[in-house]
Amino acid sequence: MATLEVRSLTKWYGPVCGIEGVSFALERGEIFGYLGPNGAGKTTTLRCIMGLIRPGGGEVLALGEPVVSGRATQHERIGYLPGEFRLWPAFPARRSLRVLASLGRGDRAQPRRRQLAERLELNLDRPVGELSKGNRQKAAVIYAFQHQPELLILDEPTGGLDPLVRQTVLDLIREAAHQGATVLLSSHDLSEVAAVCGRAAILRAGRLVEMGPVSKIVQRGERRLKVWFVDGALAPPVPLGQLPGVRVIEQQPGLLHLAYQGACEAVLRWVAQFPVDRIATPETSLQEAFIEYYKTPAGDTGSTPKGDP
Amino acid sequence: MRHRVPFPFALLRFWGARILPIWAFIGLVIFLMQIAVCAIVHDNASVKTFLNFLDVLPSFIKTALGGEMLQAGNVPGLILIGYQHPLVLFLYLLFAVGVPTTLLTGEVQNGTMELILSRCATKTQVYVCAGVLTMAGMFALVLVMFLGTVAATRLYDFGQPIPLDLFFRIAVNGGLVAGAAGSIALLAAGVLAGRNRAVAVTVAVLVLDYFAWIVAQWWPRLGFLKPATLFYYSRSIKLATGWPLGDMGVLLLVILAGCLIGGVVWQRRDLPL
Repeated sequence: MATLEVRSLTKWYGPVCGIEGVSFALERGEIFGYLGPNGAGKTTTLRCIMGLIRPGGGEVLALGEPVVSGRATQHERIGYLPGEFRLWPAFPARRSLRVLASLGRGDRAQPRRRQLAERLELNLDRPVGELSKGNRQKAAVIYAFQHQPELLILDEPTGGLDPLVRQTVLDLIREAAHQGATVLLSSHDLSEVAAVCGRAAILRAGRLVEMGPVSKIVQRGERRLKVWFVDGALAPPVPLGQLPGVRVIEQQPGLLHLAYQGACEAVLRWVAQFPVDRIATPETSLQEAFIEYYKTPAGDTGSTPKGDP
Repeated sequence: MRHRVPFPFALLRFWGARILPIWAFIGLVIFLMQIAVCAIVHDNASVKTFLNFLDVLPSFIKTALGGEMLQAGNVPGLILIGYQHPLVLFLYLLFAVGVPTTLLTGEVQNGTMELILSRCATKTQVYVCAGVLTMAGMFALVLVMFLGTVAATRLYDFGQPIPLDLFFRIAVNGGLVAGAAGSIALLAAGVLAGRNRAVAVTVAVLVLDYFAWIVAQWWPRLGFLKPATLFYYSRSIKLATGWPLGDMGVLLLVILAGCLIGGVVWQRRDLPL
């Protein structure tokens, strides 16, 4: 049984589409990346999952129970990190975190909170208003992880953190998943998603346009080919009309850097006509794949993702 | 299987601790105000000077402070000035408006409501916490006012027995009036987005209600407005003879309606998180 199941989730803000027909399911112990630019609907999805806003259609099952808006469904077992984390500025972080942890069946998070604060090197006794942006984000991470939840809903958890702390947070996410927690990680940072997530989904204008293993998403984007010609040979002009899906990234005397979609057979056959010294296939990053999805006009892909259901 | 979400007493305690300083300050001022009024009233010469001065001023001022009950020798009527003094009413208004708007719309606006609702607390429970603190706080302030009168009767000799049972009835009835004001604020906080809007609407409604009551007493042609005002249901004449159960019932209905409508809308609407 899936730990988190989102079925045809739809939310409209008046005439504006927040999300439409979003569906995915997360298994126990999985780290799932949720990608999309600003305004794509990531936060709307997360808030619907948390029951903070009422969806217009569809349903969410969290830890086996249907989520009802405003009813705090299974919230004791869920860790949530909102995109904008704001605590009461006049109070020490420790007091605010304790109050929030106490909602439910009492504060049983104290040892874990202390442990997390030590690991993230955060002084919890300082008033939140005096904390830097990075330190407030550390408090946000402690807030989400302190009660050792079975399901983590994280909206850009490493925003504003320095690279070292960022690494610690990614380690925390991996450790939680290793211990059986399921993680939904919404992020702008594609390298972070590539580093920790097994699967990911890409959201555009409120609709899922891609979903599947991160490695497959990367492959579905453009692929690269670098060709060096033997000394003295100039790179030939590329017959783009005969090679559909191919574009030239860089062309220098003796070097041709191409991007292509689909199979490479036609490109290689064309290249083989010339005196080639060596060929390299640079790996496409998730970022490049992501950008590719956003180059395509929005109407080209429907709400049904190409990847796994 | 759907399990019950335990009541968030931690939130009730946290919010209670947050509003305690302002409650204590308002309570202290109201308490001292009753003692100050009694200090003036127990001296007959001062009272006569004060009443002569009131007669010089426009008549609506005397109406606002108690009307025909303000006569030399009518000590209970004079003590009641402390219950209807504009400063006292302003302090009640401050608490009634400030607490629900700070706790509900204020937390939404500050971004902390998203954190509260992402923990084990339903929207209804959060609303109930704000409602309990508003109502309990308002009633407690009225009891502090009554205690001020009790303390003053120990401090000063009025030359006649002071009917504390009458003041207790007035205090309890006043608590219901204050609760009704609180429920209007709670309704505004539950329905409206943004603290400023909720505060503005509540203050407008309560100030209009107050002035409608004053004007309706002062100008007989507008007498039909009286039953539409909250203060109409704290009539001293009725309270002098016993518990005005009908008036108390109307006030209770206003409280219940305000709290319920606010709660239903609060539960159903998407908060601007």
